[in-house]
Amino acid sequence: MTASWRLSAAEVKEWLDSLLAAGRRVIAPAGDGGLMLFRQVSSAGEVRLEDTAHARWSPKEFLFPRTETLMSYTFDHSSVQLAPPQPAATEQVLLGVRPCDAAGLTRLDDVFLGGEEGDQLYADRRLRTTVVSLACAAARPECFCTAVGGAPDGTEGSDAQLVPLPAPQGYLLRALTPKGRELVGGPEPGWPAATEQDWEQARTQAQRVAAEIGRSPLTGDLPGRLMDAFELPIWSTLAERCLGCGICAYVCPSCSCFDISDQASAYCGTRCRSWDTCTLTGFTRHASGHNPRPDQPSRYRQRVMHKFAYFPLESDGRLMCVGCGRCVALCPAGMDIRSAVETTATEVPS
Amino acid sequence: MNASGYVPQLMRISAQRDETSDVRTLRLDQLNRAPLSWRSGQFGLFSVFGLGESAFTIANPPTRGDHIECTFREMGKVTAGLRRLSVGQVIGFRGPYGNSFPVEEWRTKDLIFVGGGMGMAALHSPLRYVLDNRDDYGDVVILNGARGVADMVYTEEMKEWASIRDVQVVRAVDPGGETPEWDGEVGLIPQIFEKLGPQPDNHVVIVCGPPVMLHFMLQSLDRLGFHPEQIVTTLENRMKCALGHCGRCNIGPFYVCRDGPVITAAELKLLPPEV
Amino acid sequence: MSTTAGAPTVPETRPADGQWRPKIVALVCNWCTYTGADMAGTSRRTYAPYVRTIRLLCSGRVDPLLILQAFEQGADAVLVSGCHPGDCHYVQGNLYSRRRLTVLRSLLDFVGLDQRRLHYAWVSASEGVKWSRLVDEVTAKVREAGPLGQWARPAMDAWQPPFELPEPGPAPRPKPAEAEPEAITGHLRELAARLLDTGQVKLVIGHTAGSLPGQMVPSFARTSQEARLLSWNERCAGNLAVYLPGKLKQTGGPVAVVVKSCDARAVAGLLRENQVRREDAVLLGVECAGIWHEERLAARCHSCAEAVSPLADWTLTANGTVQGSVPPRNDRAIGPDPRSAQLAVLQERPAAERREFWQQEFDRCIRCYACRAVCPLCYCASCIADKQRPQWIPTAIDGAGNMAWNLTRAMHLAGRCIDCDECARACPADIRLDLLNRAVAGEIADRYGYQAGADPALAAPLTTFQTDDPDGFL
Repeated sequence: MTASWRLSAAEVKEWLDSLLAAGRRVIAPAGDGGLMLFRQVSSAGEVRLEDTAHARWSPKEFLFPRTETLMSYTFDHSSVQLAPPQPAATEQVLLGVRPCDAAGLTRLDDVFLGGEEGDQLYADRRLRTTVVSLACAAARPECFCTAVGGAPDGTEGSDAQLVPLPAPQGYLLRALTPKGRELVGGPEPGWPAATEQDWEQARTQAQRVAAEIGRSPLTGDLPGRLMDAFELPIWSTLAERCLGCGICAYVCPSCSCFDISDQASAYCGTRCRSWDTCTLTGFTRHASGHNPRPDQPSRYRQRVMHKFAYFPLESDGRLMCVGCGRCVALCPAGMDIRSAVETTATEVPS
Repeated sequence: MNASGYVPQLMRISAQRDETSDVRTLRLDQLNRAPLSWRSGQFGLFSVFGLGESAFTIANPPTRGDHIECTFREMGKVTAGLRRLSVGQVIGFRGPYGNSFPVEEWRTKDLIFVGGGMGMAALHSPLRYVLDNRDDYGDVVILNGARGVADMVYTEEMKEWASIRDVQVVRAVDPGGETPEWDGEVGLIPQIFEKLGPQPDNHVVIVCGPPVMLHFMLQSLDRLGFHPEQIVTTLENRMKCALGHCGRCNIGPFYVCRDGPVITAAELKLLPPEV
Repeated sequence: MSTTAGAPTVPETRPADGQWRPKIVALVCNWCTYTGADMAGTSRRTYAPYVRTIRLLCSGRVDPLLILQAFEQGADAVLVSGCHPGDCHYVQGNLYSRRRLTVLRSLLDFVGLDQRRLHYAWVSASEGVKWSRLVDEVTAKVREAGPLGQWARPAMDAWQPPFELPEPGPAPRPKPAEAEPEAITGHLRELAARLLDTGQVKLVIGHTAGSLPGQMVPSFARTSQEARLLSWNERCAGNLAVYLPGKLKQTGGPVAVVVKSCDARAVAGLLRENQVRREDAVLLGVECAGIWHEERLAARCHSCAEAVSPLADWTLTANGTVQGSVPPRNDRAIGPDPRSAQLAVLQERPAAERREFWQQEFDRCIRCYACRAVCPLCYCASCIADKQRPQWIPTAIDGAGNMAWNLTRAMHLAGRCIDCDECARACPADIRLDLLNRAVAGEIADRYGYQAGADPALAAPLTTFQTDDPDGFL
């Protein structure tokens, strides 16, 4: 059995404070009831771990910042001086990420660390990041992790996991990787070991939450069916309300597209990369004006296909969408990617 | 893992040649003199400091490998800035990226290069490679089309190529693009191609041009009995990272920067129609 | 890393003694002020040397972005100067700029820019003395204010707002009983089906239930069968006018759209700006009791007396369908707008605290452009944010880029925003865009007596001028 312990809420806070005292950056859900986001916290008292605590955006910006410098330079065209970016130096703990968020980080790993050339900036940060997820004790109406291979207590992408038990019992904490072990303080961190009954309780809780979500796994050859549906007119209907903003991509734990641009004066500048989204009009527009995705239906289709067809095709069937539901909850026009997938994957006569 | 995949190396413009009023070819020499190798068909990202990067194919073949060349048309912010630079000034280069033309597989075959407009620039490297290794290849036909006489690129080189053994150069302008002195063909590329009456046997057709030209060329090639495996093209898409990370240049699951830009018509058929 | 032999020559701009010297950017008009400044020179007037003059043909050409960029790129102060009103070389350029820059100044003041850093003046070609005195006065004020420092600081680690905004008070009226919206829904479905069946419209844009509990989302009905899916209730927050121009292009029109009175003001704006022809749009005005999110009434609805829109072609009430509009009911309970109290608190805090407040707001911006996407009046096919030559709005998602975007958008909406608060509702970062737009609208109402309302004939205030517009300049 994986090493695991039982902690009271106070002991969890003590542990977090000790991590802070040891000089680690701790990023956790924080903020008041209105807007909770993953933030760097300066004390354990700021951390929000209760059931209803749900950070509005994913924690991806701590591995993949909204904007980061790729290089800076000074120039006068006859000579140029380049300076590469400073690599990340601080150890950071992403704490209180939901299992769906942690799974999202593994998708980012695939994008940035895969292929012939990994991304050094991302890799540096990833190396220095330990992920402690928080299992879910309640579902939200937009959740659908179970449909896409996740679970309320899923451990994909986690180095350690806190499982909340019904009050006043506190939490279970399990270390899942060597990094996680190191974070909890080695093999004997001093808390009582969790028992089999504790885990039985945790499993029952996870099953209850999964039942609340009420979505069975999407099965069958999703990429194949979606590719077959590529040219169907249904996409125009599905995307009719879409206003072409970037909320879905930016709050998503696994969306990773970015733009590269220079900001410069006459003498010096920086080249930076910033979040970008396939839902915006100009994403694929050539300098000639030609746009392979000239309308919103084709752009929306790209989003759905990328998540449920293209990425899985090169990842042994693993879906890019992790079912966090943020895009569903935050879309101002009420777009729902779940219905888009269900509709298109069943529209094709098989 | 690349230490600084986004930091370019520096190159100095050592020569330039204006092909047309808005198309220029640059010759670039490395500042750091480290060996640079590439294969025909690969591309790079060229930096204009202060403005940004633009993706161009590496126009010269590795057989002429002590410098690199690119041919570009002024289209937007970066290319306009690039055209304002002059010989002696410094730009950035990162690459080579992408896959390459399977020039070894073409040995002993008869080759037809079909370049429309700026598409000719993408064919320049493999074509030059083939001509530099003339004995390894069969007959070569070069069909180059442009909107008008003033838009023709590589005009001097075309003359040189026409004089090489068993190389036929056919130049065409769109109807309405001819001048009184024009002695080449007048017509759209697919029509001129069909007029040449090529036989599919032992042939490879390498075609590059605007999406609409590619579309009609593929139809013509199909009509003439060419198999999709015999037809090779090179794609372009809006590009930023060129490393397969930024998610922008894909056509379905195929990322132009990473899985392309070279692709056969057979492979292209399997992709969604999103060129 | 990679360098060449010899580093590039970057001009040294710091004085050798390390003392701060103000950087003042002056945007001056060619005909009057530039000549006046020249005259100051030829008259051998001495004055503070820290002004960097940028010549434009007319102060009317001064886009707010020029001023924002000056601050972004390190100016400690900006001075804009042109011909006296009435003397503009282009007749009226400075009359437009007077309005535009007055509104910009109040917006920048609202977001906490020390007003000692932004100056406007009229300096004529013969006023060399005035120019030199003006520069000395501006320089003195800027010295007092000190270096601006970074225009937009990343506020990530200090995310506690410096003060609290007052919570909205209780709603002045209760949520309507279910029977009311249900009745309206019935009438709406019947009307929509009739309009579609008789071919009077090609499409009806309305609301329908979304996939989340209680969620209402936009819906497009082309047949009477689809019309049966349309619904109305107090959760229909979306401003459907945003779909109107696109759907008109797509269908050729006419198109019917379900509108609350706030939504209809957006249609008035579209009509005013020639984006929609009146005969192509059929406005189905619902008698709206206010928009509720769970148990909270939307802020703008507290003070809204206009239950039905005067622009409606059809009005749907619980009692039935009426052609045209209906007079407003007098029995509607309204209360003070909660945003006014919040604005008042903001406006009375010191500028430095306002600055901190807005820096934190804009720091959360992720540049999703949802504010733009949901706004019916942000209809530009090519948005300023997408322009690359030049890149006016930095693409980087950081303080400077976010300030540029949000302030530019507020200026582009000045006098046009119809107060539907969709931008604030859509914003995934809860940025108080509603307060930003209200502040600008308040200034325009105070100065020019104008509110973007339901009358398409009334010209937007920044597209016009009065020769006696208030000055309030140096």
